[in-house]
Amino acid sequence: MTKADAFAEAGKTAVLQNIHGTMEFLQKYPPFNQMERAQLAYLVENCQLRFYAAGESIIKPEDGPVEHFYIVKQGRVCGQRPHSARRGTETTFEITAGECFPLAALIGERATRTAHLAAEDTFCLLLAKEAFVRLFALSAPFRDFALRGVSSLLDQVNQQVQLRAVESLGAQYSLNTRLGGLALQKPVFCGPQMPVNQAVRTMHEQNVGSIVVVDENLHPIGIFTLRDLRRAIASGESDLGQPVERLMTERPFYLSPDATAFDAAMAMTERHIAHICVVERGRLQGVVSERDLFSLQRVDLVHLARTIRNAGRVSTLAALRAEIRQLVDNMLAHGASSTQITHIITLLNDHTVCRVIELALEELGDPGVPFTWLCFGSEGRREQTLCTDQDNGILFEADNAAEAAEIRGRLLPIAERINRDLAVCGFPLCKGNIMASNPELCLSRVEWQRRFASFIDKSTPKNLLGSAIFFDLRAIWGPPEGSDRLMDSLLEEVGENSLFQRMLAENALHRRPPVGLFRDFVVTRKGAEKATLDLKVQGLTPFADAARVLALAHGIASANTIDRLRLLVEAGVVEAKDGAAYEEAYQFIQQTRMQHHQQQARLGQPLSNRLDPDSLNHLDRRILRESFRQAQRLQASLALRYQL
Amino acid sequence: MNLPWLRHRTAARLDAEQQRRREALPAAPALDERPLASQRFVVVDLETTGLNMRRDVVLSIGAVVIEHGAIDLGQQFECTLNRPIQDMGVSVLIHGIAPSALARGIEPAEALLAFMEFVGDSPLLAFHAEFDRHMLRRALRHTLGYRLRHPFLDVAELAPMLCPDRKPAKGGLDDWAERFALQVDQRHHASADALATAQLALILFSHARRQALDSPAGLAQRLAVWRRRQRGLLL
Repeated sequence: MTKADAFAEAGKTAVLQNIHGTMEFLQKYPPFNQMERAQLAYLVENCQLRFYAAGESIIKPEDGPVEHFYIVKQGRVCGQRPHSARRGTETTFEITAGECFPLAALIGERATRTAHLAAEDTFCLLLAKEAFVRLFALSAPFRDFALRGVSSLLDQVNQQVQLRAVESLGAQYSLNTRLGGLALQKPVFCGPQMPVNQAVRTMHEQNVGSIVVVDENLHPIGIFTLRDLRRAIASGESDLGQPVERLMTERPFYLSPDATAFDAAMAMTERHIAHICVVERGRLQGVVSERDLFSLQRVDLVHLARTIRNAGRVSTLAALRAEIRQLVDNMLAHGASSTQITHIITLLNDHTVCRVIELALEELGDPGVPFTWLCFGSEGRREQTLCTDQDNGILFEADNAAEAAEIRGRLLPIAERINRDLAVCGFPLCKGNIMASNPELCLSRVEWQRRFASFIDKSTPKNLLGSAIFFDLRAIWGPPEGSDRLMDSLLEEVGENSLFQRMLAENALHRRPPVGLFRDFVVTRKGAEKATLDLKVQGLTPFADAARVLALAHGIASANTIDRLRLLVEAGVVEAKDGAAYEEAYQFIQQTRMQHHQQQARLGQPLSNRLDPDSLNHLDRRILRESFRQAQRLQASLALRYQL
Repeated sequence: MNLPWLRHRTAARLDAEQQRRREALPAAPALDERPLASQRFVVVDLETTGLNMRRDVVLSIGAVVIEHGAIDLGQQFECTLNRPIQDMGVSVLIHGIAPSALARGIEPAEALLAFMEFVGDSPLLAFHAEFDRHMLRRALRHTLGYRLRHPFLDVAELAPMLCPDRKPAKGGLDDWAERFALQVDQRHHASADALATAQLALILFSHARRQALDSPAGLAQRLAVWRRRQRGLLL
C-alpha cells in the first residue's frame, strides 16, 4: 500500500468504525445481506456483545420468556434437551458464526424449549426484544427470515436426515426414516437345517437376539429368537442338535425397505415382536430390532406396550397411564406428528382396554358366550388424545330376543366391572352413559342393526347426534366378524337413503369454523376482550362430521377421519389436492390441541380444548387460521353437494 | 513545538461553557469490591503521533463500554482530534489517520471534554494502560487543565496473570487477540483496538470469575502481587 492509498483508505472509515465493522461481518450472512443499511445500523447499535466461556449456558427453558435475539459472532453454540429415555442430555443442533437463535421462542413470546450452551468460547450479539420487534415491523427481509427461520430450520433438519445424521435429530424425522435408509445390522441368517445350538452360537458371536432362517434364495422362511429358545427350553425341549426349522417361528413378519421406522414400531407394538425382517423383492436385506428403534426414537414404545399386555393388576395399568403421558410428552417434544401420536395413544389404550377385559374375565370367570367389545366416537376413529372419556358397548350373537336377554343378563355385571376398572385406569366414565354396562348398549347383533336402522329412519336431532357417535365404530376385543357385519349393513342402509345423507350433511354444517377470530401479529391486546376458540368442536369436528357423511354415503367402512379422507380421494369423491389440504389442516389443528393439552398438564390445569389464538406465535396462528379456512371449504363443498 | 507553557496557555483559553463542563465532570471512582458484571467500564485506546510519552500527542480516541458484563455497541466514543500538521510524526502509516481526517477533526478541548463526559465515573481499561493513561493525562492537563485521577486496569497485565498457560511469545494486543481467535475488524484504529481490548477483557473477566476474582479491587490487589513476583523473576 502506498502512502497515498493508506490515507485514502483511512479517510473512508473515519466514522463509527466498530458499528461499520460489525455491519460488515453481518453482511456476509442472510438476512442481514438483504437489509437496508440504515436498518442494519439500527440493529448493530442496539446490540450488546457478550462472551460465553465453553460450557456456559446462554439461555435455557428456566430463564422464562426470551428477551433477546442472539447472533453468533464467533464460536459455536449447541442446543441440548434432556434425554427423554436415558439420563443426561442430548445435543440437538449446532449454531455457528452468523446464525441466529432462538427464533421460534422469540416470535412465540415464550421460553426456549432447548438449553443453548456455548460449545466453545463464544461471542454473541444480543439484540433486545424491543429492537427486534421494531426491525420485524420495519424490514421485510428480516421479517421473512424470522418467520421462515422457524420452518427453514426444519428444512435443514430434513436435509440432514438424507445425510443420515439421524442420531442428533428429533423423533419425527427419525421415525419417518425409511427402514432402507437406516444403518441396519447386517442380517444374521442360516439355513433351515442348521442345528439349534449352532444357530445360538452364531447369535452369541454376532451379539444379536435373533437369527433369520432363509431358503437358498435368501427368502426368509422363519425367525429364531432368544424368546423361541427360552420357550423351547421351558417346555422341556432338550435336543438342541435338531434343525432350527423345528423350533423357529414360521413366516416371520417383514416390511419393505420403503416402510418407515414408525411402521416398524407400530408393527412391533401390535404384534408383540421385537425383530422385523426387511425384505426387498423376496430377499432378506436386514433386520430391525426393538433396540434399533429405541435408539432411534428414544421412546420405548414397544416395551411399554408389552408391559401393559402383561400387567397383572388393574392398579398396575393405572400406574402405567403416567408413562403413556410421559411418552406422549416426549414424542411431542421430539416433534412427532399428531397422527403418529393419536395412533400410539389409541394403540396403547387398546392394549389397556384388552388387558382390563382379560383381567375382569380372569377374576369374574368366563361368561361362556363369545362377545365383542366395541368402541365409538374418537376411540372408534382411532383419534384419541389423553383427554377422552369412555364410549363403548358390547356386541354378541343371539338367535332370538329371549336368548339375547339371557346373555345380556350374564354380560352386564362383567361390563359394569370393566367400565369401572377402565375409570380406574384413567378413562373417565361417560357422562352420557354411552357404556357397555348400559343395557341399551349391550346388544345382540340383530338388536344393534335394529337400533342403527331406527337412527336412519327417524332423523330426530337426538338420533343424528347418536349416529355421529355410534357410526364411528370399531371392535377392540373379541371376534371382529359381528361388528364387520354390523358395519356392512349400516353402509348398505345409509347408501340407499339419500334423505338421511342430506340430514347428516346438514348436521355437519352446524359447527362453523371461527375464521374471523384471528387477528394479526403485534396488535395491541385490548384488556378483557379476549376471545377463545374450541379446537375440538370448532376445528376438528367439522372435518370428522364431513368425512363421516361422505364415507358412509360411499361405502367406506373405516372410521378414522384421515383414512376416510384418503379413501374418498381414492374413490374419486374428493379431489386429491383438496384431500391433502384437508388432511394437513386437520393434523395441524389436532397437533395444536395436543400441545395445548400438554401445556395445561404441565401447569396442573384441567385439560380444555379452548385456546386463545393470541397465545400462539404469529406463524402458528397463520397456519391455524388457514387450517380453519380448509374446514370452511370442506363444509362449502358439502353444502354444494347436498344442495343445502 | 511542544513546550509545556504553551499547553497551559491553551488550557486557559477554555471558554465559560467549557470551564463549566470541566467543573461538572464527576469525581474519579475507586476500584471497589462490587462484582465485575455489575459495573460500567470504559475501554479506551488512543492513536498518537508516536510512542514518545514526552513529545507525542493524542490524535484520536476510541472507547467502548462494558456494562452489565457485556459490550454495549450503542455506547461508543470515537473522535479524531484537530491537530496542526506539524504535530504529525512518522507513525501516520501505523495509525493510518489521514491529514485530511485530522484537519476535519474536533477541536482538542471539545474532544477531551466530550470523552471525559463519556467516561463519567467509570474505571478505565486499556491495553498497555500505562501509555494511554500517561498520554491522556498529559493531554487533559495541557488542554483542559484537568487532572486525571481515574484508575486504570491494564489488560496487557491481566491477560498473562489470569491465563499464564496461554501466554503468547510476544504480549501485544495482536498476539493475545490471535491467541483467543478474536476477529478484529481493522487494527490500529483506536475504536477497533478498543473493541478488541474489550473483547479480551470479557474473556479475562470470565477467567477471573472462575478464579474467584470478581471485583476490580480484587483484580488490582492480585495485580500488585503478580507485578512483584514478575519483578522478582526478572531479578
